[in-house]
Amino acid sequence: MLAFDRPIALIPAYNEEATVGAIVGQIRALWNYPVVVIDDCSTDRTAPAARAAGAIVLPLTIQLGAWGAIQTGLRYALRHGYRTAITLDADGQHEPESIGALLPPLATDTADVVIGAFPERASRARRLAWSYFRQITGLQLEDITSGFRAYNHAAMAVLASREASLLDYQDVGVLLILRRKGLRIVEAPVSMQPRALGASRVFRSWWVVGKYMLQTSLLCLARVGFNHLPPAPDD
Amino acid sequence: MITYQLTSMAIGLFFAATILLLVRRDHLHGPYAIWWIGAAATVALLGFFPRLFDVLAAKLGISYPPILAIVLGFSMLLVKILTMDLERSRQERLIRRLAQRLAMLEAQLPGAADSAPPDRAD
Repeated sequence: MLAFDRPIALIPAYNEEATVGAIVGQIRALWNYPVVVIDDCSTDRTAPAARAAGAIVLPLTIQLGAWGAIQTGLRYALRHGYRTAITLDADGQHEPESIGALLPPLATDTADVVIGAFPERASRARRLAWSYFRQITGLQLEDITSGFRAYNHAAMAVLASREASLLDYQDVGVLLILRRKGLRIVEAPVSMQPRALGASRVFRSWWVVGKYMLQTSLLCLARVGFNHLPPAPDD
Repeated sequence: MITYQLTSMAIGLFFAATILLLVRRDHLHGPYAIWWIGAAATVALLGFFPRLFDVLAAKLGISYPPILAIVLGFSMLLVKILTMDLERSRQERLIRRLAQRLAMLEAQLPGAADSAPPDRAD
């Protein structure tokens, strides 16, 4: 048995002092997992709130965005010997109770990555964006942008690598790298809360959405021909 | 009467001297210094012998020699800008990983739990 067989929870946070403490507290109370909050240069009291609730805080000195923060957490987890990592948003839309739904596919080794999917949360515009990305990537997933995920050791190692350091969001680009490395991605249905406070970091304004769509499209098109098919089930 | 050769010599020398000065003062890091010394030499050479382009253009079948200079200069600029963005991307990756490592180290510092948030001014 490995020393750290229990999972570690990673929460990227930017100005989430209102909600981060409650999330950390719930995870600690429900699952007793170590919780790491990656503070992406918040200007409010996110870091003290997280610490007070019992989290380990990794304070970034330069704002790296959601993915840069999660990668920090993954690198931390690997350094400290953890073999399973769960990522949640700090705004309270992912329910700590649902963590249990993400773990069985990893435990039985039927998947390397489990995405907590709640497609019903999506607005029409977001649905449109998803189906567009499904079209151009060939990914067979419902909820491409969900940040509620569980990664096993193989997936953590791939995503902590330098190759994944120039990504900006934990979504399509990350899934493409995982697929290219032949890792198995499945979805688990979960329920999610409407965002308690604050809005999505991506779906914020038309300008940001446009930039995001263009960047992600380019990322997909640049990868055409790299292992476009899902890996065979028997490998 | 100033001839056009004198003008081009002056421009070439001024440009080359500026670059050499910057390299001497260590304002340009290794590989960039080599590129720019090459540029300085080229500019100086063409400043002294602006007719070089007339000869070259004639050999390449270009009827209006100045356009050859412009096209070549423009291409070199494009190459330079492209390599600059490649370098910037490489540095962005390094900076991100460095910031991540710093965050991991900071979390391990004794007293991290009760110290004030680090100074974000830098």
